[in-house]
Amino acid sequence: MSCFKVISGGLLSLIEDFGRFGLSDKGITNSGVMDEYAYIILNKLLQNSVNTNCIEIALGGLKLEVDDTCTIAVTGADADFSINSKKVDIWKTHNLKQGDLLEFLFAKNGARIYFGVKGGFDIKKELKSNSVTIKENIGKNLQNGDILNFLDNDILYETVYLKKEFIPSYDTNLTLRVVLGYQDNFFTKEEIENFFKQSYTISSQNNRMGYRLESQPIKCKIDGIISEGISFGAIQIPKDGQPIILLKERQTIGGYPKIGSVLPIDCFKLSQLKAKDTINFKPISIKEAQEKMELFNSLIL
Amino acid sequence: MIKYKIASVDSIIIYFAESISKENVAIVQHNYVLLKNLKHDGVIDIIPSYTSILIHYDLKYFTNDSIIEFLKQNLSFEINCEKEEGRLVEIPIYYDMEVGFDLERISKLSSLSIEEIIKLHSSTVYSVYTIGFLPGFAYLGEVDKKIATPRLQSPRKKIPKGSLGIADNQSAIYPVVSPGGWNIIGRTYLDMFDKNLDSFSYLSVGDRVKFKPISKSEFINNGGVI
Repeated sequence: MSCFKVISGGLLSLIEDFGRFGLSDKGITNSGVMDEYAYIILNKLLQNSVNTNCIEIALGGLKLEVDDTCTIAVTGADADFSINSKKVDIWKTHNLKQGDLLEFLFAKNGARIYFGVKGGFDIKKELKSNSVTIKENIGKNLQNGDILNFLDNDILYETVYLKKEFIPSYDTNLTLRVVLGYQDNFFTKEEIENFFKQSYTISSQNNRMGYRLESQPIKCKIDGIISEGISFGAIQIPKDGQPIILLKERQTIGGYPKIGSVLPIDCFKLSQLKAKDTINFKPISIKEAQEKMELFNSLIL
Repeated sequence: MIKYKIASVDSIIIYFAESISKENVAIVQHNYVLLKNLKHDGVIDIIPSYTSILIHYDLKYFTNDSIIEFLKQNLSFEINCEKEEGRLVEIPIYYDMEVGFDLERISKLSSLSIEEIIKLHSSTVYSVYTIGFLPGFAYLGEVDKKIATPRLQSPRKKIPKGSLGIADNQSAIYPVVSPGGWNIIGRTYLDMFDKNLDSFSYLSVGDRVKFKPISKSEFINNGGVI
């Protein structure tokens, strides 16, 4: 069997795929890749099926050595990526040979890098998915010395790359589109206007579960609600008025009021932001939001 | 009055009621089972809670309008409370101060002896209201008013796996080691969450639960860890 050996696991490198669905009623979070755009492109470049597993590398620091030929690709955050200490482009495929050393330096722009191999890593699924969720004891982050097997040592003879115009710029200021809903009727009209008017800073509390923001507090007429299901991108307003956008490893149910939810396609961009980056919110109607999602799905899948 | 509310671009939340009661929980559970059994390809996740159900749907199958139409056609409100009761599950518990760190606190607050607390807690038949917080963490209601106890002022950093707790009028078992603020009264040797089980979680929403007090030796002989 062919494999990659982990020389250095980096900050937080996780095996992920689209995630785990149909188990939220057992308290199991969806998990999965944070930036689906970069992940989908990765598998397209490698001619993999859509849900093939990959490594999601937070910021960088991962070092790997390969013991066979294969085709790999890298997408996501703008980090220097080198093969045998020679810097090479990302958003394209590369062919490797036995003994090649791969190194991901820390991202200059963006927060998450995606690394995949043609055919995927040979890892047994747990609860129908390869996605690691550390807080649920489902898998763990890559450690020095780990071995990642893969099955496909055939290479692609033509280099596949993404056209420049489709490579995201990962701006440090984003406007996120929000579908109002949930407890939006418990916010005054002025408070909702204020919610869309002000700017927010990403706090240091940002991870795969959610991003906590800093701003002038948003006031809700109620402190808590009867616990209920939480959707991807939901914006929770806790007592202190600092919004939290809930992402892939969110808790399945919760008791804080929510003003609405960020569009998933904007959450993917949010996942590439770091502490101190800034965002704004903009309302979007459900009808237009569903059209935007369909457009994304038709372009990409 | 039933209310449909947008939760996100591809999810909708159904509010069946505005307060927690046995009847309201029964309506939620009845409709949760009903929707789950439809096994519709366009329904990705269903999350039932005390008074609501969140549905995450696939935009390939539904729009906001058509999911509401679909739900209106399928939800049902005529339930026969006696017939609808879920399966009865018995869970063995070693109730003792050795593993029930807060039995004494509850005893002080309630002015009941520890024996009386155990008797009250183990004679009630509970219902699984919802599952969340941790995989397999089932919220059970309702604890007898006499022993309903508020959460600890500051949560414990580490609660052992299998610990049975009380928070207000609810009870739950910690499926794994976890921080938590519930009042701990005993421990089970059963695995409440097991990736090898068909259903993963030992309990499902709608199940009825009864606790059976067991001795220390029975607890240890079945693999219980102090």
